[in-house]
Amino acid sequence: MALLQVQELRKSFDGLQVLKGVSFEMNQGETVSIIGPSGGGKTTLLRCLNFLEIPSGGRIAVGGETLFDAENRRGLTEKEIRQNRLHFGLVFQSFNLFPQYTALGNVSLAPRLRAKERPDYKARHKELGEEIEARSVDLLKRVGLGDKLNYYPHQLSGGQQQRVAIARALALTPDVLFFDEPTSALDPELTGEVLNVIRQLAAAKMTMVVVTHEMSFAAAVSDKVLFIDGGVIAEEGPPEQVLRNPLEERTRQFLRGYEK
Amino acid sequence: MKKIFALLLALSMLFALAACGGSSAPATQAPATEAPAAEEPAAEEPAAEEPAEENAGDSDLSAIQAKGTLVIGVTDFAPMDYKDEDGEWIGFDADLAKAFAESIGVTAEFVEINWDNKVLELNAGSIDCVWNGMTLNDEVLNTMSCSVPYANNAQVVVLKADAADQYPDTASMADLTVAVEAGSAGEAEATAAGLTTLACESQAAALMEVGAGTSDACVIDLLMAGAMIGEGTSYPDLTVTVRLNESEEYGVGFRQGSDLVDAFNAFYADAYADGTVMELAKTYGVNEAIVEP
Amino acid sequence: MFQTVLLSLTEGFGKTLEIFVLTLLGAVPLGLLIAFGSMSRFRILGWPVKLVIWIVRGTPLMLQLLIIYYGPGLILGNNWWGSGASGRFTAAIIAFIFNYACYFSEIYRGGIEGVPRGQREAGQVLGMTNTQIFFRVTLLQVVKRIIPPMGNEVITLVKDTSLARVISVYEIIWNGQAFIKSQGLIWPLFFTGLFYLLFSGALTLLLGWVEKKLDYFKV
Repeated sequence: MALLQVQELRKSFDGLQVLKGVSFEMNQGETVSIIGPSGGGKTTLLRCLNFLEIPSGGRIAVGGETLFDAENRRGLTEKEIRQNRLHFGLVFQSFNLFPQYTALGNVSLAPRLRAKERPDYKARHKELGEEIEARSVDLLKRVGLGDKLNYYPHQLSGGQQQRVAIARALALTPDVLFFDEPTSALDPELTGEVLNVIRQLAAAKMTMVVVTHEMSFAAAVSDKVLFIDGGVIAEEGPPEQVLRNPLEERTRQFLRGYEK
Repeated sequence: MKKIFALLLALSMLFALAACGGSSAPATQAPATEAPAAEEPAAEEPAAEEPAEENAGDSDLSAIQAKGTLVIGVTDFAPMDYKDEDGEWIGFDADLAKAFAESIGVTAEFVEINWDNKVLELNAGSIDCVWNGMTLNDEVLNTMSCSVPYANNAQVVVLKADAADQYPDTASMADLTVAVEAGSAGEAEATAAGLTTLACESQAAALMEVGAGTSDACVIDLLMAGAMIGEGTSYPDLTVTVRLNESEEYGVGFRQGSDLVDAFNAFYADAYADGTVMELAKTYGVNEAIVEP
Repeated sequence: MFQTVLLSLTEGFGKTLEIFVLTLLGAVPLGLLIAFGSMSRFRILGWPVKLVIWIVRGTPLMLQLLIIYYGPGLILGNNWWGSGASGRFTAAIIAFIFNYACYFSEIYRGGIEGVPRGQREAGQVLGMTNTQIFFRVTLLQVVKRIIPPMGNEVITLVKDTSLARVISVYEIIWNGQAFIKSQGLIWPLFFTGLFYLLFSGALTLLLGWVEKKLDYFKV
C-alpha cells in the first residue's frame, strides 16, 4: 500500500480555485519531484499537505490512516492538526531558522518540547535531554555541519542555513519530508551543497517530495515527476518520460523555457 | 464598549462643564433650606452620635457630619494656609477652619489642591470647601456658594526696587509689560487700570517674570507679595509699589446651594463676637484686613 | 535650607518613582492584552479596542487624569476616590497605566507583525503549539525589535509623571514649586531637573545594556 495517498485535493482562496483536484500516491522510500510554472499550485499543494492551509476538498492519508477528509464535516481540532503535521516535515525556500537559537538549538527545540508531553518526562528529563542533544548533533553532522553546532543563523551562509533547516525537519522523524524550492533563495555556488544533502537522503531511502526548478537534479534523484499547471497534475510519470519525452504539449512548452 | 461610552460621556460632560461654567450639580448638593435645623444639635454633639445617612441626600452639612470630616481645599499660601515644621497646616485660614469644623462636630482635613481645579474638586466631592485667601470675584461667585467676606485684600504692583521711584502711579507705567495670573483678580485690575498685561500660569510665575526681567512688573495679591518678596526670598530686590484697589474681599467657597454657607456665616458672627477671630488675626499679622460680620 | 529642599525633593522624587514603577508594572502586560485585542480577527473585539486606543492616544494625558479623578464625582455623583492622597494616587496610576498601555500596545503590535510569517509557520510544521510558538520563537524576536521604541516611551514616562500634579499628587515638581509659593525660592524647581537627568541617564544605560544582551542574534 502506498505510504502517502492524496485524493482530489482542492483549495480556493476567496473564490479563486488554486488547486482543482490533485491526486497522487507515493511509496515508502520514493522521491517525487514536482515541477511547473509559478502560480500553478505547487506551493499551495505543499502548504495543504502540511496543514498550513486547510484544503477545501479531498482526502489525505498516510500509511492507511486518514489525516484529512473534506467529507468529514466535523473539521479538525487544533490538536489534530498538530498531530497530522508530525507525519510531515517541510523545508522552506527561505529557511526560516529561528534567529535566537544556535544551529543545535534550532534542531533540538521541537524534540525538546515534544519530550515534555511524554508521561515519563519528569522522571527521565535529563536522560531524554541528552538523547535529543546527541541525536541533534548526529543530524547536523549528517548534513556536514558538525563543526558549526554553536553558530547562530546570521553567522552561517545561506547554504549552511538551509542544511540546518533540513536537519531541523528531520529531527522529528517525519514519514514524508517536503522541500519547497530549497535552493531558489541561494546563490548558484551554494545550491550544490544543499542538493547533495537531498541526494544523500534519497540514497538513504527517505520518502521525499521536492518542488524544484533544478531539472537535472530532478532527473537524477526522482522516482517520479509531477508536472503541475493550472491547479491540476498535467502530467506524471518517471523522470525519463516527463523530463525527456513528455506526452503533453503543456509540459513540452514549460521545459523549453529551461533549455536556453 | 462600556469604557468607551463612559469616556465619551466624560469628555462631553467636561466640554459641557467648561461651556456653562461648572453649573452641574453633584448628588451631594443640597438645598439650603434645611440648614438651620441641622445646625443646632451639631454644635454640641460629637459626630459619631449623629443619626447618620438619612439626611445625607438633602443637606451638605448633614452629609459632612455623617462622614465626620470637613475636607478643606488649600494651597500653600502664607499667612493664610501653610505648613509648620511638623507638616501641620496652620495659618489664619487654617486655624479658623479647624475652629469651624469643631463647631459643626467634625474634624478638619486639609488637602493641598491644584488651584486651577478648585471648582472641579468641589463639585466632584473630593473637597468640601475652598478656604485659601480666595478673592470673591465674579468667577468665584458664579461657580460656588460663598460666605460673607471675612478679610480685605488689595492687588498691588511689584517692581524692581531700584526702578520703583520712576513709577509712582499707573499712568507712568504705560510702557511697561505687566505680568499677571491668567483669570486672576490682579489681571482684571491691571486691565482696568489700562496696563499692558502678559498672562501667566500663576501668581508665582508672574513674580518670576519680574525676577527674571522678562516682564517689567507684575500685579499680585498684597498678602502674597508680603510672603514672597524681600529679604530671605529669591526676590530680595523687588518691592511693592502702587495699590490698584482696596475693595477686594476674601471669602470661603462651598458647593453651590450648600447649607454650609449659613453654618459658616453663623459661626463667623459668633467667633467674631467672642474675640476668637481677632485673636487669630493678630497671631498671623492680618488683623488690619479683618472684616466685621 | 539646602537640606530641607533636598529632603523635600527626594520625598517628591520617591512619589515620582512610585508612579513610574507602578505604571510600567501595569502597562507592560496590559499593553500586550490590548495588542492582542487590536489584532484580533473577531471584529467585535478588534474595533472597540482600536477605538479605545484612538481615544487614549488622541487626547492629552492631562485631560485623562482630570476625567478619571473628577469624572466619578462630577458625572456619576459618586466620588469613589475620596479626598485623600491615596485616592488621588490610585486615580493617577490608573490613568497612567491605561494611557501607556495603549502606546505600548501599538509598539507591541508593530513588533509582533514585524516577525516574518515564516517564523510562525516553521514552528507550526514542527508540531509546536501556538503558545510554544509565541514564547519560544516569537517573543524574544519581538522584544529585540521593540526595545528601542519602548526605551523612548519609558524615558518619556519619567517626565510625564510630573503631570500627576494636576490632581494634586505631590511628586517632585509639585514639591519644587511649593518652595516658590512658600519661601519665594525658585532654584528648587530647577534643581528637580537634576533628579530627572540622573534617573533618565541610569535608564539609558540600562536600556543600552539590554540591547547589548540581545545583540547575539539578528532579526
